Amino acid sequence: MAELWFVLLILLLVGLGLLLPRVGLFARYRLWRSWRERERIEDALKHLLNREHQGRRASPESLSGALSLPRGQALQLIERMEARGLIESHDEQLRLTSEGREWAVNVVRAHRLLERYLADEARMPLAQVHDEAQRREHLLTPEQVNALEAELGYPQHDPHGDPIPSREGHIPREQGTPLTDWPLNTPARVVHLEDEPALAYQQLLAAGVKVGQVVQVIERTPQAITLTDGTLTCRLAPAIAANISVAPAGAPKPADAVPLSRLPLHQDAVIVALDPALQGLTRRRLLDLGLTPGTLIRAEMQTPFGSPRAYRVRGTLIALRKHQAEAILVKPATL
Amino acid sequence: MTNAQEILQRAEQLRRELPEGFRDALVQSLYAEAQRLTQRAVHTRGDRRYDLDQWIDRLVTGPITGLLIMLLLLTVVIWLTVSGANVFSDALAQVLFGIRDLGRALFQQLGMPWWLTGFVWDGVYLALAWVVSVMFPPMAIFFPLFTFLEDLGYLPRVAFNMDWLFQRVGAHGKQALTMAMGLGCNAAGVVATRIIDSPRERLIAILTNNFMPCNGRFPTLIMLATAFVAAGFGGALAAFIAASAVVAVVLIGVGFTLLMSWLLSRTLLRGEASAFTLELPPYRRPNFLRILYTSFIDRTIFVLLRAMSTAAPAGAVIWLLGNIHVGEGSLALAIARGLDGFGRLFGLDGAILLAYIIALPANEIVVPTLMMIYTNAGAMVEAPEGVEAIRALLIGQQGWTLLTAINLMLFSLLHNPCATTILTIYKETRSAFWAAVSVVITLGTAFLVTFLVATAARLLGLAA
Repeated sequence: MAELWFVLLILLLVGLGLLLPRVGLFARYRLWRSWRERERIEDALKHLLNREHQGRRASPESLSGALSLPRGQALQLIERMEARGLIESHDEQLRLTSEGREWAVNVVRAHRLLERYLADEARMPLAQVHDEAQRREHLLTPEQVNALEAELGYPQHDPHGDPIPSREGHIPREQGTPLTDWPLNTPARVVHLEDEPALAYQQLLAAGVKVGQVVQVIERTPQAITLTDGTLTCRLAPAIAANISVAPAGAPKPADAVPLSRLPLHQDAVIVALDPALQGLTRRRLLDLGLTPGTLIRAEMQTPFGSPRAYRVRGTLIALRKHQAEAILVKPATL
Repeated sequence: MTNAQEILQRAEQLRRELPEGFRDALVQSLYAEAQRLTQRAVHTRGDRRYDLDQWIDRLVTGPITGLLIMLLLLTVVIWLTVSGANVFSDALAQVLFGIRDLGRALFQQLGMPWWLTGFVWDGVYLALAWVVSVMFPPMAIFFPLFTFLEDLGYLPRVAFNMDWLFQRVGAHGKQALTMAMGLGCNAAGVVATRIIDSPRERLIAILTNNFMPCNGRFPTLIMLATAFVAAGFGGALAAFIAASAVVAVVLIGVGFTLLMSWLLSRTLLRGEASAFTLELPPYRRPNFLRILYTSFIDRTIFVLLRAMSTAAPAGAVIWLLGNIHVGEGSLALAIARGLDGFGRLFGLDGAILLAYIIALPANEIVVPTLMMIYTNAGAMVEAPEGVEAIRALLIGQQGWTLLTAINLMLFSLLHNPCATTILTIYKETRSAFWAAVSVVITLGTAFLVTFLVATAARLLGLAA
């Protein structure tokens, strides 16, 4: 008799574990399935939007390539998306419907806002930001995306310089000039770095090129383009340099300015600027502490390991780590 | 003239026309205005205090003097706490346990049934008295000393000195301070992480604080080190070896703190916001009234009340387990036997695991509970006096080995936070998720490490 009760109890527990709404295995599986479907649809929509912007045709082949999906599955996906009124297909050509475009722009918006968040607030290395945002963009609801935008203070560009679509789905068109077409010895501000393909992007990052940096092309040969920002000089292959877009810049950085991290101990200096690539929480904190351009600053103490160092600003002593001090440009006071 | 929708659209339009650096300009103009006002209103004369500050700073952040001063102060604070607490704890325990005897006598005179007397005075009250008498004195000494150093302006310099180490594991230099606070009490250490103003680094400090052994665990560690690790040595050498063993445990705790910080900052907390700021305020004369207020009301009493609220129900459970009989022993004994096989896997035994489960509210009552189970008593009892008596009970009767003692020390160091601390983590992070994470990572580490040590010792033939 007791065995029967045990069997019933176990059956009940197994049944609950499988079937409970929300926490049961079955409900979990369905949730996972719907999430996977959303990820696929959104990736497909992004691919179509991308092609549209490049002025190229999207086809089932290009879609199956972009999503690395077998052709059969890609065709099924297209069918499901057509049924939902997101895309239209005419003889091997795929087009977004207005509904599909709206959704696609929203995904792009989530992606770029996430990139901004990860780069600025979480200080994740720029090379990892894209992949992480790619993963998280499918998990946000539109309300969460709007909240994220407000929290970040309505940024206009992602860390690579791409414009962030507005809540209404408006994408500002901004045209920089490829660095390869920019005149020699003319100051230019980097406005955009193409982050795909990832390998070329990593070369740009490794060379120290950042959005917001003011650079000049000092030499151009068919083999290489040489550019400088006043401190660092780098040579890039023309194919790589073409991924940098620039716009006219104001005055280049003063020649005698150095990063705060290189200011000798017990030396006074005046803050010239904060690195434009330094955004988000860290920048706000530094400004709140009174590290505004024009402020007097003095390197006062140093730990035996070189980082952090303590600086005297506006009568208080503030410790900064090396990577923070590197982002603050100062002009040493002449003795 | 326009409706709300149009205004919103116009705002959206105008926002896009703002230059990207308009926030910088805003802060800059605010500071410019503040500077203009101070220049008009504040007059400064030659500043001798400033020179003194600089001189002290050079001393306390110097490569050798800074380290020496820091270690010296830490030693002095811990020595004062441990030796001072001993005296007070005994006195307090005498008073509180005296009240228990009076209460029992009163209940008996009133003709209450034995189980009610036992439940109230040997269960709930005893746990409360125990927690208060062991917890209150060290906190009442440690926290004022700590607050004194804080008020003096010295502690931020410690954070400055130690930041290079924490920088490497993705944490904040101020974590050195919250860890020191954790030596007093982990719940207070968790509250102290409020000084870390960067979300990611603060979570790291909260989740790893438990790897610092608190006041409640020190007596256990000292007892085990004296009775087992230092056994066989005589006189001053034994004391020295016991002290070294305790220091070694603390250092292992520091090691795990750094390791776990590094892991967390690269996995679970990768996407949390992070920024480093550390202000080094000028030195000032401490305000003693404020020190007393902060250390007693904000820290000591706060932790004590929270601990008491979790200790009372635990006292009830402990008494019930000790007094409900199944077969020839108490329920506690029966459960301990059931857990024994699992406990042996980690070089411990069933009674130790049970003691840790039911003494969850406070580490202070782990040993009394363990002794209760071992002696089959009906209430928590103190460990026997003297090394010989302890060894006779634990080795002679319960089959302990050096491995049991060492693994119990490790388990005590690494195991889950007490209920008070878990509750505090929940309140500070406002998230059941992070409270659960703090339990999972510590308990996981404790089981993993004790299992590895036990298995290694058995494979090498050092233990059975």
